[in-house]
Amino acid sequence: MPTAAGGGVVAPSSRRSLAVAATRGYLPAAGDAGDVNAIATADLRKSYGDLTALAGLTLDVPAGELFGLLGPNGAGKSTTIRILTGQLRPDAGTASVLGVDPAADPIGVRERVGILPEQESPPSFMTPREYFDFVGSVRDLDAATVNERVETWADRLAYGAKLDTMHTDLSRGQQQKVMITAAFLHDPDLVFIDEPLANLDPIVQEAVKRFLREYRDAGNTVFLSTHDIDVAADLCDRVEIVHEGELVATRRPAALDGDRLLDVFLREVGADASVGADAGAGR
Amino acid sequence: MSADRAVLAAMVREEWRLHSRLFGGRRFAAFPVFVALVGGLTAWALGTTGARTETVVAGAHVLVALFGLQTGTVGLVGRDAMRGLLGETTLVVFSAHTLPLRQRRLLGLFLLKDVGYYAVLLLLPLAVAFAPLLPLAELALLWLTLVWTFGLGLCATVAAVSLATRGRPGKVVAALVACALGAAAVAGLPVAAATPYALFVAPGITSAVAAAVPPLCLLAVAALAYDPEHEPPARTAENAYRAWRRRVPAWDDPVFVKTMLDVSRSAGGYWKVLLSAGILVAVSAFLVSLAESVVGLRVLPGVAFGSILGLTAFTTYNWLTQFDDPTTYATLPIDTSAVFDAKRRAFAVLGLPTGVACYAAAALWRGAAILDALAGLALCVGLQAYLFGLTVALAGTRPNEFLFDTVLFAGFTLGVALPLVPVLVVGFVAAPLSAPLAAALVVAGLALAGVGHVLYGRAVPRWRERYRE
Repeated sequence: MPTAAGGGVVAPSSRRSLAVAATRGYLPAAGDAGDVNAIATADLRKSYGDLTALAGLTLDVPAGELFGLLGPNGAGKSTTIRILTGQLRPDAGTASVLGVDPAADPIGVRERVGILPEQESPPSFMTPREYFDFVGSVRDLDAATVNERVETWADRLAYGAKLDTMHTDLSRGQQQKVMITAAFLHDPDLVFIDEPLANLDPIVQEAVKRFLREYRDAGNTVFLSTHDIDVAADLCDRVEIVHEGELVATRRPAALDGDRLLDVFLREVGADASVGADAGAGR
Repeated sequence: MSADRAVLAAMVREEWRLHSRLFGGRRFAAFPVFVALVGGLTAWALGTTGARTETVVAGAHVLVALFGLQTGTVGLVGRDAMRGLLGETTLVVFSAHTLPLRQRRLLGLFLLKDVGYYAVLLLLPLAVAFAPLLPLAELALLWLTLVWTFGLGLCATVAAVSLATRGRPGKVVAALVACALGAAAVAGLPVAAATPYALFVAPGITSAVAAAVPPLCLLAVAALAYDPEHEPPARTAENAYRAWRRRVPAWDDPVFVKTMLDVSRSAGGYWKVLLSAGILVAVSAFLVSLAESVVGLRVLPGVAFGSILGLTAFTTYNWLTQFDDPTTYATLPIDTSAVFDAKRRAFAVLGLPTGVACYAAAALWRGAAILDALAGLALCVGLQAYLFGLTVALAGTRPNEFLFDTVLFAGFTLGVALPLVPVLVVGFVAAPLSAPLAAALVVAGLALAGVGHVLYGRAVPRWRERYRE
């Protein structure tokens, strides 16, 4: 696969990205013989007792897209990611991730994708270096590859001095850097990232954004879940707005003509649009 | 003061909701009833078999003091620990960061809440359980001295932890005081006269004042020494992961290695596993001497200690599952069954040897004969394997949830009692041990290990499904 996680060498053309993706055998997108889908879901449903988290979610994410799932807290974003990565079983509906059904083969999906959870999965008393060795051995990476990629990521996110500090003693921002590195360590074709910029300082946020664009340009797919409209508008090729477990709007931020993503968001989730106008944020 | 009352009320309400949400309100509310029933049955059985009431009451005070010591570890909450350990589940404590509340005062209220909570939920039914042995008037006094004893244990831990926040000098002072107390007890000085138990034995002003002095002194030490801003420097470590994997290459098990590293680097290291087992050794020594006083015969130390020390499986498994569960690995291609397998391996490496070492020490100390020692060894290993399987079956990787979940706790108690009581009875009455009976006990040990294996094998697929619901 194209290198992005390790060396950061990428091809700039998204047209080429689709061509690369087409060789990987993902599902063809309905109605477009030229596209391939890294992710496809149909009528996904999930409830927790009386609470409906997903009420029939259907979406396609073509390979090579930086896709954003935008929604307020509790809209169903994290549930979607957990179903697509095999952590949860849906009540109904189907899903395909890189051609694999996550409900039937959760381990197979997680072997192929990278996941950055919203709540950090703490490596507890291990140091980052040990944790990366742990992730490397789980993912069958040789030690030299792990070392090389860890050094690259530590430079990129500026935490080389913390590689031997116990995870429990790292700041939340440093812990987030560790989890970002772990998500990309095996150089996956597709990553699911939930609020990737949380707790990061502006310089590192820019480094992560730059990397994500390069990663996408290399033909890989990003599924980004966020409630941060600025992040979605700045990064994503396409944004789907989810509200109460359903998709309510789709937009391409680059093609928004005068309308701001914030306005669309407030309109679709039923909030008072004047509040958003006063806030003056978003695009 | 009104702020203190509001915080205390919020803490109690939050504690109730936390447990009732975890286990269901009725299951949680039924816990005191269950304690009273089981305790009452035990007291009745001990009374019927001729145990001296004062011995049983003394035992209850010892156990409650140990429980207080353990509960006092909440005093370990330094600034970061308070956020990490309690912040996620205890919003009121977490509020110290955002509200104008002094952390020292908040910790004091938290401890006060714990005393009140355990006084009603655990110690009141425990005192009521003594109804078959004591007149009604003494039950109230017993409750008072049990609560006092719990508070004493709590204050002792909090004082020690507070001293520890002052660095090495504080730790040295704490160690010196502990050693001095131990030496005084060994030298035969009347240390117990300054405890709540002495107040129960001889109620009066003098004994009440004597019992009040130690907790008040400990509280004063805690208040003076506690440094809420104490934060140890960030710890670093050489990469031990690869070295650990090389030690057990055949298993090729990253989660096992992570588990061992977590246990070794968390507070107390591997010693805490041994310490937990050591407490059980002390409890079993007390029970064995109690049994000897009841039946008037020398019990079989191998069988008795081997059976009781099988319970170390539960405390060890608790440590092994303290720092992760299958959801920790949800972002990696690690199946739930692999997490359980790793815990089983860690248990085999850490838990079984610890239990056997404690058993060997106890058997040597009490001079177990060879047949008795072999039977006890088989029972110790077999019961550990059985309890491991039983705990996995009932609680998965969260054995702490036994606490206050009446149904789970009752199931666990029954599951433990079914094999433990018969072999303990043999240990108490079958001396000297015959060869056929020793062989039967060895077979029983092996059979228990087999049952544990089956329980484990059936439980893991069930937990795998449950974690994905």
